[in-house]
Amino acid sequence: MLIPRRTKHRKQHHPRRRGDATGGTTISFGDFGIQAIERAYVTNRQIEAARIAMTRHIKRGGKVWINIFPDRPITKKPAETRMGSGKGSVEWWIANVKPGRIMFELAGVDEDLAREAMRRAQHKLPMKTRFVRRDGGDA
Amino acid sequence: MSESNENVLNATVRTEFGKGAARRTRRAGLIPAVLYGHGTEPVHLALPSHDTFLALKGNSNALLSLSFDGKSELALTKDVQRDAVRRTIDHLDLILVRRGEKVIVEVPIHIVGESAPGTIHTVDLQTVRVMAEATHLPEFIEVNIEGLAEGSNVRAGELTLPTGSTLEDAEDTVVINITVPRASAEDLESDVASAEAGAAAGDAGEAETGTDEGAAAGE
Repeated sequence: MLIPRRTKHRKQHHPRRRGDATGGTTISFGDFGIQAIERAYVTNRQIEAARIAMTRHIKRGGKVWINIFPDRPITKKPAETRMGSGKGSVEWWIANVKPGRIMFELAGVDEDLAREAMRRAQHKLPMKTRFVRRDGGDA
Repeated sequence: MSESNENVLNATVRTEFGKGAARRTRRAGLIPAVLYGHGTEPVHLALPSHDTFLALKGNSNALLSLSFDGKSELALTKDVQRDAVRRTIDHLDLILVRRGEKVIVEVPIHIVGESAPGTIHTVDLQTVRVMAEATHLPEFIEVNIEGLAEGSNVRAGELTLPTGSTLEDAEDTVVINITVPRASAEDLESDVASAEAGAAAGDAGEAETGTDEGAAAGE
């Protein structure tokens, strides 16, 4: 599971969600990609589930790139706890994904296989996404 | 290895500037653009949105023939600003070119054929820099990888360029690599880790994650 090796501070404020992605909006490495069209906090478990769904379907025939990294800690207070007594403990690590961001890329497989692999991965993600090709076409 | 043709666009000169004016231009079905080059003063233009989109679709090196103020100029796109979600063109930077002038452009690589069974190809260099006449720019460069075996690669110097074009990148730059896909150590490790996590989920319960300093949980 993706997790930062070392962080400057253990707990952070919630990341800002407004705005669209300003970078990482084009396919850089592969031939196909999954692009976010909504904003969401994507946890490291969801990234891992999507990666596994993709790699298992292509039977390790191609190459997968993960362009997002869950570098923001999200805390949670235990259930039935009174307010106060400081911030809760770190519960999740998330990537703050904004619309337009290419989250995954895939190369080395034909388009039909890539579409199906990415469709499976899209089901593991918490927001609306679309399949994109390097030449700019989308699903 | 087809070559680009001229796309004729009827432009109008913009007289108002700023984001409000740019937005009004876009609402009117036009794309704000700027044309410069050859030491001339920049000219601010508005191009027809749909025609421009079609001209640049699949060919970022399309040669545009712009007619405005009763004159005609040839231009290439220097930069395209797109809306990341809607894919519409927000703004264009155009550079003036003259007929017969040689320019350096980035030309995409297109793969033809399939490498030997059991292998995959990785494109290390998606575009190559090519010098060619502005009116005869290649749209793409085809590379045939039919039957290439594991470990072989295609270098920039081995590409077949159209006549009149010369390579600007180093000749020994690897463009395509043929490899046998192998499960990376990360894949195997994370598969094992997921399986273990699944098995241990019952007894571990709500195990603490990220205790201190980010808890670098292994690799």
